[in-house]
Amino acid sequence: MKGKLQQQLFCQYKTVDENEGKAARLQRMIKKYLGNHAYRAVFYALLSDEPEKGTAVFRTIQEARRIPDSRKIMDHLGNPDVAEVFAMSRSVANEAHLYEEFIRFRELADGILFSEITPKSQVLVCIADHFADRFPLENWVIYDKTHKMFLLHRKQAEWALVTGTPLNRRTADRISESEKTYSELWKEFFESISISERENPVYQRTHLPLRYRNDMTEFSDQT
Amino acid sequence: MQGTIQEKMTLNEKLHILSDAAKYDAACTSSGVDRRGDGTGMGNCSAAGICHSFSADGRCISLLKILFTNECIYDCKYCVNRSSNDVVRTSFTPEEVCTLTMEFYRRNYIEGLFLSSGILRSPDYTMELIYAALYRLRKVCNFQGYIHVKAIPGADPRLIQMTGYLADRMSVNVELPTAESLRLLAPHKSRKNILAPMRLVQNQINENKQEIRLYRNAPRFVPAGQSTQMIIGATPETDYQILHTAESLYKKFDLKRVFYSAFVPVNRDCALPVLKDNKPPLLREHRLYQADWLLRFYHFEADELLDENNPNFNVLLDPKCCWALNHLDLFPIEVNSADYMLLLRVPGIGCKSAGRIVKARKMGNLQFEDLKKMGVVLKRALYFITCGGKMMYPVRIEEDYIMRCLLNTKERLPEGADGMTYRQLSLFDDVNFGGVNGISNRFIYVQIRLQVFVQLCMMLGWKTGTAMQESA
Repeated sequence: MKGKLQQQLFCQYKTVDENEGKAARLQRMIKKYLGNHAYRAVFYALLSDEPEKGTAVFRTIQEARRIPDSRKIMDHLGNPDVAEVFAMSRSVANEAHLYEEFIRFRELADGILFSEITPKSQVLVCIADHFADRFPLENWVIYDKTHKMFLLHRKQAEWALVTGTPLNRRTADRISESEKTYSELWKEFFESISISERENPVYQRTHLPLRYRNDMTEFSDQT
Repeated sequence: MQGTIQEKMTLNEKLHILSDAAKYDAACTSSGVDRRGDGTGMGNCSAAGICHSFSADGRCISLLKILFTNECIYDCKYCVNRSSNDVVRTSFTPEEVCTLTMEFYRRNYIEGLFLSSGILRSPDYTMELIYAALYRLRKVCNFQGYIHVKAIPGADPRLIQMTGYLADRMSVNVELPTAESLRLLAPHKSRKNILAPMRLVQNQINENKQEIRLYRNAPRFVPAGQSTQMIIGATPETDYQILHTAESLYKKFDLKRVFYSAFVPVNRDCALPVLKDNKPPLLREHRLYQADWLLRFYHFEADELLDENNPNFNVLLDPKCCWALNHLDLFPIEVNSADYMLLLRVPGIGCKSAGRIVKARKMGNLQFEDLKKMGVVLKRALYFITCGGKMMYPVRIEEDYIMRCLLNTKERLPEGADGMTYRQLSLFDDVNFGGVNGISNRFIYVQIRLQVFVQLCMMLGWKTGTAMQESA
């Protein structure tokens, strides 16, 4: 959050060191008192790119202490902070779902499946389980260009999140021999499946916004 | 049989021909079954379905939608692959279908396979080919993603049954809304023949449910249920008839979905209608889908939406708004106390927002702003609801008035939305509130103009009317 927050006058700022112990305690507390449903909402909301997400989550948890049944906090949408957390978690979950749909892998020369995305929020953790379950026997990597993060999955192993390593462009662009064949077949299919009498670019754009298309095989011009 | 199957063709050409021929099938959903991968193969399924792309016509691409072959012994008048058409005929091999599916799936292009086919030699022979492709995909490639397959009417029940154990969803197309039209346009098919495999699949699904109850690991038969499709606009049926057919299919055959496909003229034939401007009846298709949703999720009945005197849907308004306008005696309803089923019937409130309202109102009284945050579409709902006994704006509960407002909304609010219950006097300006943001500016502008005018009059020594002085 550093550098993203607008500092205010007449406020004293204290830096709190992050550490795993504190995080685990807070996590346990939220799960215990607010339930898994609220935990998931808070978790997703904190992955958002909103600068004020921390305040909203903090106030939501405060509100949860006030109401009779804390576990129902996420139903309390009449409260503006709860509504904000709800909206943020919904928007992150929606974006994550769209990436489950629109991620395109390309096969690299060494057989690894590689994909690059440009999400607004940090969706990698949200989509990891889905792809790990889907491709258990593949080595695959998803690279988040916005947050410079990798999601790695090794064949028949758990997935892992890696930060702080730059992307090696040369390796990422060296595709396997058969890759070109299949991406062309896919483009062919994409063209021929559309019914020209029903063409409707507005409708297409509603469901598949332009910002996702830069990373998608069927919209790339490279042949 | 007209053409002969071209064997020597690249995979690219085959894919072009066989996906082009399959595109008129509307069903491309991958929903209805939740299955995690078992870690030994590739793929899983999610109950809500996943779309992977959207083609230029705005339709979702979820499955690799192909025909096994476009060779066909039937001569259905509306079909591009009919036997009397002179088109290039080709066929995949089971291996090719498997390679394409697996390679597309691993790149996350698709959610699974949709396999349909023309009738090659006989229904049995075609069904066998389809079975062979699915068997290879499931057992050899260990594919655990979604498979939607056509049951071929007239094929051996045993074959259909075996294929069903490999597929997630099966469908038999009823093709046209009534048996009479089917006789006209598809002389080789009969309603009875089409409904027979549908009944077979339905019975088998029910039996399978019993089996699963007894033996948890029994193989699943068509776990995502069956669907069907009919062509809209090729024959003179009314919307009322079509909706009735759909409703009875849902009730009698437990279908998961009925798809409606706007008629696209691909053949010239005297039995087919000529379309206006050569455009398929897309709006009609859209209204039918809206009504279909009302049947399946909103507990509406076909007879509530249409009747013999009004057999077609309103072009301007969606079926739910129409229903609400015809039942204004029920409205407005109080959001904080109304029954869930009644909330569902309010235009602008859907299943999700109705659920949220019911939960949230236990925690406190709801206001209009809260509704907005929950996803209620207020520009439609505001005419039919009250919050704490108050309506959002002073509106008249009157059919004509609401109808006009609903048609006028392009994010526009009704007159009086900003607190003015009467129209401002204007001299040069027709007060046409262009948008919510425009209101205050325009209002000030009119006032300034009036002031200038009054001052001008005074300077010239004219007497101005009292009304005008007041407003200035």
